[in-house]
Amino acid sequence: MRTRTPQIVALGGGGFSMEKDSTLLDDYILALTKARRPRVCFLPTASGDADHYVVRFYRRFSAGCEASHISMFRRDQGGRGVEDDLASHLLGQDLIYVGGGNVVSMLGVWRAHGLDRVLREAWQRGIVLCGPSAGSLCWFSEALSAFHGPPRRVGGLGLLPYSNCVHYDAEPARRAEYHTLVREGMRAGYAADDGVALHFKGTKLDRVVSSRERGGAFHVRRSAGQVRETALEVSYLGERAAKSKHAVRTSATAKQPGRSAARAVVLA
Amino acid sequence: MSASDRDKRRLIFAMGGGGFTMEPTNPLLDDYVLTLAAAKEPRILFLPTASGDTTTQINAFYARFGGRACIPRYVSLFRLGEEERPLEEIVLEQDIVYVGGGSMRNLLAIWRAHKLDEILLEAWRKGTVLAGISAGAMCWFEGGVTCSSGAPEPLEGLGLLEGSFTVHADGEPERLPVWLSSLRSGELPGGWAADDGVGLLFNAGTLERVVSSRPGAGAQRVDAIAGELVRHRLEPDLLGGAPSTFGAVLDDDVRELRRVQRLRREMTGESHRFEDV
Repeated sequence: MRTRTPQIVALGGGGFSMEKDSTLLDDYILALTKARRPRVCFLPTASGDADHYVVRFYRRFSAGCEASHISMFRRDQGGRGVEDDLASHLLGQDLIYVGGGNVVSMLGVWRAHGLDRVLREAWQRGIVLCGPSAGSLCWFSEALSAFHGPPRRVGGLGLLPYSNCVHYDAEPARRAEYHTLVREGMRAGYAADDGVALHFKGTKLDRVVSSRERGGAFHVRRSAGQVRETALEVSYLGERAAKSKHAVRTSATAKQPGRSAARAVVLA
Repeated sequence: MSASDRDKRRLIFAMGGGGFTMEPTNPLLDDYVLTLAAAKEPRILFLPTASGDTTTQINAFYARFGGRACIPRYVSLFRLGEEERPLEEIVLEQDIVYVGGGSMRNLLAIWRAHKLDEILLEAWRKGTVLAGISAGAMCWFEGGVTCSSGAPEPLEGLGLLEGSFTVHADGEPERLPVWLSSLRSGELPGGWAADDGVGLLFNAGTLERVVSSRPGAGAQRVDAIAGELVRHRLEPDLLGGAPSTFGAVLDDDVRELRRVQRLRREMTGESHRFEDV
């Protein structure tokens, strides 16, 4: 097997679930797979496998990709050998797309089913990993999660040895909260606005792209007791969208998920 | 019973199936749950965690409890931005916590990730009634039989109650042989199997009462003693008055049929592949 560079695209927000009228970020991610018809598996765990989220995934991806999803809540509806299927199905993908929701609940479920190990292996094999919100936070060592009470530090899978903060522009208090945590000892990391994607090759940030002209991303670190925030160079994907070889149809023209398109490991 | 006696109670009501998600037209078990709290108008919290917080379960909860003498609410561990207060504060002010069915493995993993297991233990010690069906019932015991990963398999629970618990003994019969063989092998401790519609009430770890919303449904206690399974059938109190004569006649037939089916399964159970059941 040829070796591929591990790649993660961490979205501060955006993609098919948040941007109905823009496929820019999803197209950018699909192009990284270099596959003519990429195999894309959606993990909606952080939403509790919400049906509407799964439907939106297929609307966006079933036209141009071999799309599938895995439901961690309906594994009882699958056939035999599901445990093996989970790993082999995921390791057979070009792209694993993780949905948003609650990162703590998602990591709890993943670990209970051994998915954390499978995803690490997928990453090492060069299967592109991506996602917005919880689907971004999960790849880092530490993350800021706001859920039931004040925002707090949560541990992620640690594939990327940094901290991460999402929806940086969308929620006014986020920036101050993140700075406080970094000042108090959370490791240095990256913050991204909605519509902005941090593209890592290996563990190094390679590029920052955006579906919005004004999208921002920042490196945040502590230096001599002070928090320093550095704005990163962001490439707006707008003008280049038409050139993408892997453009998928917009939601208006995409087919509804058919029987074959909706193939999931566990028929949910 | 005096108020101070009530205060000392540590109640857990474990249902093999039934309640608002499975019996939309039969409120007997859910009405019984409300009577377990000392408060006239109890605060009842629904935790739909095991289902992934599906809207279906949440709606069914409000459809059942919305019009009753109680203060219903739910907490989602998936949806964001609904509640600013810490989980602990919300849970500890409840009179009843009602846990829905779904994936037992996910339920426990998510609770532990949020430290909700510790909060629920504290709530129980403080007198909050814990109730639940299916995964939401097995979770309180030392172990249960889950289909969280596909085929039924034993899974460790929170251990608030000694023994194991298996659910849907009549409705999903493929669990029972797995439970029995786990008892025989010692992987699970002796415990109870409950049919759909049957609830077991435990007070401070001791089985106090068995109730049912359906004629003919039952429960059993099974222990492995010197490698042999010793079984006792438990006759539930039928909630909501006496069954009709017609029901009673049917009852015996159904019971006989189930007994034969069970015997058959047990005889072949050990070598069975569960997709065949």
